[in-house]
Amino acid sequence: MERASINNRIRRLRFDNGEMTQEELAKRVGCTRQTIIALEQGKYVPSIELAFKIARAFGVTLEDVFQYEA
Amino acid sequence: MTISQKTAWVQLGIFGALVIGWAALFIVNGTVFYWQDESVKMTFYWLSAAAFAALVIMNIATSILKSRYGAIADERDKAIFRRASLWATGTSYTVVVALLLVLAITYMNKGAEAISVYFPLFIVLIGGATLLLTQAVAALIMYGRKVEHGES
Repeated sequence: MERASINNRIRRLRFDNGEMTQEELAKRVGCTRQTIIALEQGKYVPSIELAFKIARAFGVTLEDVFQYEA
Repeated sequence: MTISQKTAWVQLGIFGALVIGWAALFIVNGTVFYWQDESVKMTFYWLSAAAFAALVIMNIATSILKSRYGAIADERDKAIFRRASLWATGTSYTVVVALLLVLAITYMNKGAEAISVYFPLFIVLIGGATLLLTQAVAALIMYGRKVEHGES
């Protein structure tokens, strides 16, 4: 069975928001910079809570940040 | 590199060194069943005590950092260590069962006098070291691979 994958636009959104740094985003959402790096590289799929925090940090909806592909 | 990742490296260093020390002891002195020399047994215990003491010191240092800087592990670190602990528990359990089988087979073939009275303690120490070594290795592998929150 093929695994579902969740992609994200965090990198794009950071640049659209005044070139926000990974460190700054990490501080806003309460995680480490390494987790932001892992998210951008597609190496980590976050919890619902962290996903909402990231979306709120950019002022967009969850689906503007994360896309689900079955 | 996160603090959790650094602690995994330190843990790997401590228990990797312990396993190398044990292996050297086994190679030079033979298997644990036949150790008659007290100094060999004491070397084994001192090596083990040093490794576990180093682990305690590392955990105290981590607690100090935590009290100073707040949370030092986020949900990804916790997810990685939760999965690594599952791998480590399975591996450690397998090693302990294998050693208990060796103990039973030796007892059946050679009798009680062929088994050191310390052997059950060896099993506990080797099981513990396997658990902590595997946890560190598994965590470091997972830091480089894709991880999903809530996946186990």
